[in-house]
Amino acid sequence: MIAIQILNGLVYGSLLMIVASGLVLIYGLRRVVNFAHGSLFMLGAYIAYAASLQFGFGGGLLAAVAALAAVGFCLDRFGFRLLQDRDPLTVMLVTFGLLLVFEDVVQSIWGKQSYSLAAPEALQGTVDLFGSPFPVYRLAIVAVGALVAACLVGWLRYSRIGLFIRGASTDPVTTAMQGVNTDRLSGGVVAVGAALAGLAGVVSGPFLSLSPTMGSDILIDSFVVVVIGGLGSFAGAFVAAMILGQVQALGAVYLPDLAALLPFALMTAVLIWRPSGLSGSRV
Amino acid sequence: MTRLLKFEAVNAYYGRAHVLHDVSLHVEAGERVALVGRNGVGKTTVVNTILNLASLRGGTMQFNGRAQQGLRTYTAARAGIAVVPQGRRIIANLTIEENLLLGGAVKRPGPWNLASIYELFPILRERAHTPGTALSGGQQQMLAIGRAMMANPSLLVLDEPSEGLAPVIVDQLAVIFNRLADAGTALLLIEQNLSLITRVARRLYVMAKGSIIEEGALEGLDIEQLHKHIVV
Ligand SMILES: Nc1ncnc2c1ncn2[C@@H]1O[C@H](COP(=O)(O)OP(=O)(O)OP(=O)(O)O)[C@@H](O)[C@H]1O
Ligand SMILES: [Mg+2]
Repeated sequence: MIAIQILNGLVYGSLLMIVASGLVLIYGLRRVVNFAHGSLFMLGAYIAYAASLQFGFGGGLLAAVAALAAVGFCLDRFGFRLLQDRDPLTVMLVTFGLLLVFEDVVQSIWGKQSYSLAAPEALQGTVDLFGSPFPVYRLAIVAVGALVAACLVGWLRYSRIGLFIRGASTDPVTTAMQGVNTDRLSGGVVAVGAALAGLAGVVSGPFLSLSPTMGSDILIDSFVVVVIGGLGSFAGAFVAAMILGQVQALGAVYLPDLAALLPFALMTAVLIWRPSGLSGSRV
Repeated sequence: MTRLLKFEAVNAYYGRAHVLHDVSLHVEAGERVALVGRNGVGKTTVVNTILNLASLRGGTMQFNGRAQQGLRTYTAARAGIAVVPQGRRIIANLTIEENLLLGGAVKRPGPWNLASIYELFPILRERAHTPGTALSGGQQQMLAIGRAMMANPSLLVLDEPSEGLAPVIVDQLAVIFNRLADAGTALLLIEQNLSLITRVARRLYVMAKGSIIEEGALEGLDIEQLHKHIVV
């Protein structure tokens, strides 16, 4: 029983990790806390749903990731870039406004009823784990999470662009002095961050049900992850996502009355212990 | 001779603060030029204007004979003007080697690469995989110089490189700057350290209150007079 809950925690932790790493990427380059991120997650799920009716789950996944990358690029080009000299609070409010706009747009197209995205056939069904049946699809989510984490780490640590991203997220001015076009870099990075939110939305589709506000819960948990991990830190976010996934899964079973408070209790405890998060603030 | 950098009656601002007043100066290929002046006269603002970190609102600035409009921070490096900024600005979360590789973001052809920088500064090779900020002040300055040289610049702009360093390190810097200049890199050395200036520069500009008040060859210059312009 507890083993199954730990697995469930790993599943949710993987989703959180994908969403939070997009937030970390965007925060790193633009110093923007992106409230619209939850709605990008939701958009990903709806776009995948619409496209999957024609092209199946795989087609839906590709369509959602590509569409969200485009949305992210536009968000940077026509949003963050134009607002980069403004007060961070203003930018945060703009992203909050975008969240409401995206939710309304989706609601006006698809209405309030909830939909569900069908998992690919090969991943339907269950396997026996620790003596009880466990959905194969959930295991696939963990695999996707691990793959995303490995790709991100490899990309950031070993590629030239990754070096520029790490440089720019610590010191954008010095990085630009070396001849790096940090605006263009940010456009690409916000596109990747949005595409990751979209990917997480698609992957959650068969697991959560689709509704215009489906992004809100995961957004709040992702913020908690980013804060616990230390703003701007990938390693911190990975660890924090896994911890919070466990807290949510185990809390729901063993402390159901307090489950909703646990993420914030955890955040408070970590911040008292280490005010700048688990990792300090390194990327 | 190629004119690498030219300011013509440049006026530069931070927001509403008017800092540079009709500044004219130039650096030719291979030249060794010093820019001196007391604290707060606007020396760093000259660098910041080149980097579009201060806004140019009057006069013209040329890189390689081309007037710069719609300048961005990354433009100078791509035009072959590399900067060693005041305070060095080593990126803390990157290793020494990564800081150097970042300097090579602009792929200009030339003799400088990781191997030749490591040859010039062996200490950087020894510590290649430690964080850039784990170095002493003098070593960080070498890293900042190495990072700038990775771009194979035709002009190296150095903003108070001797600041806060021990005299023996400043002696080493003088040797290094002369080596770089002998290899063909032009230098614009912003300094308040007279002994470094006299060992490296051939021509100089003196700044006061945001304007150039004197210029000329260093040779035959009255050192006492120069001293008065620098010492606070
Ligand atoms: N970012 C800024 N915003 C507003 N004013 C500034 C800014 N940076 C510098 N100044 C002002 O511009 C003037 C020139 O500063 P600058 O940094 O160019 O001087 P400096 O000659 O480099 O001095 P130092 O020798 O101390 O480095 C100073 O009066 C300073 O207060
Ligand atoms: Mg200065």
